[in-house]
Amino acid sequence: MIGLMFAGAIACAPAQWLNQRDPRIPRTKDGKPNLSAPAPRAANGKPDLSGIWKVDGTPRPEMERLFAFLGGFEVPGDDPLTFNKYFINIMADFKPEDDPIRPEFGPLMKQHGRNAKDTPTTLCLPMGMPWVHGLPEPFKIVQTPGLTVMVYESERTRQIFTDGRKHPSDPDPSWLGYSVGNWEKDTLVVDTIGFNDRTWLDAIGHPHSESLHVVERFRRRDFGHMDLQVTFEDPKVYTKPVTVNYTQTLLPDTDLLEYVCTENERSRAHLPNP
Amino acid sequence: MGFLKSIILLAACVPLSAQWPKALPPGVPRTPDGKPNLSAPAPKNPDGKPDLSGLWQAASGKYLQNLAADGVQVPVLPWADAFFKKIQASEGAGRPQERCLPHGIPDYDALPMPIKIVQTPKNIVILYEAYNHFRQVFMDSRSLPKDAQPTWMGYSIGKWEGDTLVVDSNGFNDQTWIDDGGHPHTEALHITERFRRVDFGHIELQLIVDDAKTYTKPWGATLRLNLLPDDEIIENICENEKDFAHIVGK
Repeated sequence: MIGLMFAGAIACAPAQWLNQRDPRIPRTKDGKPNLSAPAPRAANGKPDLSGIWKVDGTPRPEMERLFAFLGGFEVPGDDPLTFNKYFINIMADFKPEDDPIRPEFGPLMKQHGRNAKDTPTTLCLPMGMPWVHGLPEPFKIVQTPGLTVMVYESERTRQIFTDGRKHPSDPDPSWLGYSVGNWEKDTLVVDTIGFNDRTWLDAIGHPHSESLHVVERFRRRDFGHMDLQVTFEDPKVYTKPVTVNYTQTLLPDTDLLEYVCTENERSRAHLPNP
Repeated sequence: MGFLKSIILLAACVPLSAQWPKALPPGVPRTPDGKPNLSAPAPKNPDGKPDLSGLWQAASGKYLQNLAADGVQVPVLPWADAFFKKIQASEGAGRPQERCLPHGIPDYDALPMPIKIVQTPKNIVILYEAYNHFRQVFMDSRSLPKDAQPTWMGYSIGKWEGDTLVVDSNGFNDQTWIDDGGHPHTEALHITERFRRVDFGHIELQLIVDDAKTYTKPWGATLRLNLLPDDEIIENICENEKDFAHIVGK
């Protein structure tokens, strides 16, 4: 956990290629982006989700109530109490005793929580899903007919096939899985299987197996806001499916910065291993 | 060419086949026997420009090993000549990919692993199978930044000259090599890539390397990219230095 915060702190950097005015963004009379304008449509009539998005943080009082212990990990520009609660604990809505993790996986989770050196991200490995949805960093959706691409500032790239194909029957296990998308009215429903078991669901180390199945429902409520509902199930590790809700806000007139997790593991030596 | 050995070892880590299904995308012209017709005309977008979208791969690995593989005399400055010779003598030791660091431009173009071009009118995204990195080419008439923050992939803008997509890039850091052979560059690097989709299945890609602090004049090569029809990128995550101990080099 501590290691995660340190790793996150490295990601923040300003750059000159921000502040690029986007002529496609509707504006109020004073020239500011009008984030409550209607959501744009693609040529096929479906909502166009394209743009740069970032997850909203959870209100601070709730974060303080849930994760008071995080206050000590604040570093300038990277205060974990501004994060989304599900980034820290995907089961934040459950009382600890109601966490649907099967008892036999409790020790594995404890082991994850104890050893920050083994957090996949401290090894420059992918964060995976649904953890990445709580990450307070921008990602970009590029929607084209038949294919929607999601590129993450500090994650890897994801392809979501919207050309009608089905999941492969026995996919190669991969860090980000195999995703197919379908429209249900104005909601893009992304169904993903084919994960390996090496990512965590959150910072405190909720584990999962290769049976993980994630369904994401993206609905662009208006120009500047996206509702994202994520339901995941993994019957080998959890007793029931779990649903969490995020709001994402458009970041207008900007772009992704490059983020390369460089020089592998140089931070790792400095992480605590209590 | 001893450094080849290290390349082969690295390449062996790449999954050679995948169970991801061969999805048949619509819009691929086919011969009567159902095979993709790679010599059909290049497709066009509604705006009349060629559509470069698709899965591509360098036809030959030789330009990755040496961008001057066709025998072009590289106009190299003395420091860069010494660097190149040192890399050649050490069988490629120190190549950034030993440490899971990105290929840069242009060696990502020359790398014989699939790349996917996703073209939209104002923005082209290129997904690289190697390390799952990506790159954006801004097509909205913006200019190159004058004092860009140095990055691995640089800052790229594109425009159309007739049916040729011309991509200009600057803003590189000096951590990558021009090719696996070890031609170096500085942060002054400016790359021009001219993509021309000559028919459905082929792109001619002219690469021009301009770095006055390393080379006395621009130089480069012209590559061929082949379309990989009915295929898909698979995931490729480079796991920290696990190969490092096995890589040859002096």
